[in-house]
Amino acid sequence: MYEMDGEEIFVIDGHVHLWDARTENITHEGGEQFIQCFYDYHTGFTPEEKQWDMEEYRHYGADRMATDLFGNAAADMAIFQPTYLTEFYDEGFNTTEQNAELAEEYPERFVLNGSFDPRDGEEGLRYLEHLKEEYDIPGVKLYTAAWRGDSKGWRLDSDDAFEFLEKCADLGIENINAHKGPTIRPLNRDAFDVKDIDDAASSFPELNFIVNHVGLPRLDDFCWIAAQEPNVYGGLAVASAMSTNRKRKFGEIMGELLYWLGEDRILFGSDYALWNPDWLVDQVMNAELTDEQRDEYGVELDVDTMKKVMGENAAQLYDIDIEEKKRQFRDDAVTERFDLADHYGGDAGAAAD
Amino acid sequence: MSGSRTNTGGDAGSADTADASAADAAELTDGPRVVAVRDRLDRVEDPELARSIVELDYVDAIETDGGRVLVQFTLPTAWCSPAFAWMMAVDARDEVESLAWVDTARIELCDHMHDEEITTGVNARDTFGETFPDADGGVAEVRAAIADKARVSRQREAIATLLDAGVDPAQIVALDRGDVSLDGEAAHVELDGFSVVVDRDPIEAYLRRAAESGHVTDASDTLFLTPEGDQIASDRLDRVQKRSRLADVNMSGQGAVCDALHRARHGSDDESG
Repeated sequence: MYEMDGEEIFVIDGHVHLWDARTENITHEGGEQFIQCFYDYHTGFTPEEKQWDMEEYRHYGADRMATDLFGNAAADMAIFQPTYLTEFYDEGFNTTEQNAELAEEYPERFVLNGSFDPRDGEEGLRYLEHLKEEYDIPGVKLYTAAWRGDSKGWRLDSDDAFEFLEKCADLGIENINAHKGPTIRPLNRDAFDVKDIDDAASSFPELNFIVNHVGLPRLDDFCWIAAQEPNVYGGLAVASAMSTNRKRKFGEIMGELLYWLGEDRILFGSDYALWNPDWLVDQVMNAELTDEQRDEYGVELDVDTMKKVMGENAAQLYDIDIEEKKRQFRDDAVTERFDLADHYGGDAGAAAD
Repeated sequence: MSGSRTNTGGDAGSADTADASAADAAELTDGPRVVAVRDRLDRVEDPELARSIVELDYVDAIETDGGRVLVQFTLPTAWCSPAFAWMMAVDARDEVESLAWVDTARIELCDHMHDEEITTGVNARDTFGETFPDADGGVAEVRAAIADKARVSRQREAIATLLDAGVDPAQIVALDRGDVSLDGEAAHVELDGFSVVVDRDPIEAYLRRAAESGHVTDASDTLFLTPEGDQIASDRLDRVQKRSRLADVNMSGQGAVCDALHRARHGSDDESG
């Protein structure tokens, strides 16, 4: 938890991965280019003294991840967003099963999402059922630009995708997280285009669509769609890291999101291990709008707004009772391991760092 | 290849100030032909950001040898859209070859997942479709979509300039292209029976993008439009202005991402804002 103006802020990191990009797991040159590109994002938006070297970045393991997330109580909970990329990585980059290693060790601390790929057809539908049964997944993370044989991507508004979304609705998998953001292949028809969200969101009002990376570099298309579709949310991964050395841009993006979506539909995410909540949470909590931005947008990053963005909005989507969690965390396994009993002891919750 | 050579370097400080000083330094050491090539390349834009590839520091090297020119450039990531990379390479080739003394320009894209295909295709004068048979749609459509985003993002400042000059929303949405003319440092806007004089720059910048988008070319075309290209209702002008602001924040926000990646890739971590 974080303390701001004397109030506790319960932090749910809405976007984390336990990935494996060791060279022995890479089966396609795309896998190596992918992790190299991630590493550029890492160094591009991480304070120099907090940067990792490439070897630890390729594979950090469950133990280190738990320490990074909870060691100084930067995050109280985290949501796994699997990224399969099985065309590039032998065992996958971070599948539901890979992420489950840590999620099952500390189930009270993690939300474990699954995934689907409509190109898997009937077998994919069975796999989705299996994920629900095995892990009780409350959501899926979708990667519309994933390669599969000759296909370089798929769209959420396709008939095949709708069949899977219907299956999600039937199974009670309510939170559809779509990676929409930084440009990667395929070619000119951009599979990270956000426009397919529009039709999917209006066709499935019972589902929530969380657009990761707030659609950058299509923030404008994303906000315009979200302004009209009440079940569309923005995930801050990548955007939140801009608070490192592009503070003004971060402020502008927050201003736009608050203007078009409002404070109830924005979710913090570190995209760990792209960036590490052990410093990013503090940095985002300390971010301020300039006077000019306050005038322009008529909004503030005040305690009430940050409470929602950093935790309450995710809690709403994933049915997390924050007060109940605070009680539970007084003596759960993570608190024992990292000696956080005082932190959750009810004495106004001073941050552990 | 012999002849003069330049390296524009990857360690510029601020994108705004360092470019000027880097350009000044280059003037002293590079021959006039390299300078002429760089001036042509300055007209080539990263379509996603609507900013010059010289200003963005993408150009690694310029070499000249008689009528032959070699340009090497690198993008912020190996994953930058191949369609955008293709456009920049073709535009660079055509700009350099527009110089009277240049017979052929060879453009090499470096460190990109499709660097070989793009370098080969552009220099062989193939089309994008020939180089990437599995791509659906053409570069022309991408160019049109990008040009339209630039139109929307520049419209806000042009309209704000007119609002500041006291023109009211109903008058603004009723303007046609033919009502505006540029003259020296000023732009003249004809309203019913009288004319308003405003600063030229924001109007000119908008007119250029609006013309490139294909939406505002003839004198009878409506001057300002919604992002969808429709007539603006005067009570919706504020909303359209907000959408224009959003388009601008998107473009400059993505510019900050590309800039940070470019610096990460080329070993510089200075901040540019």
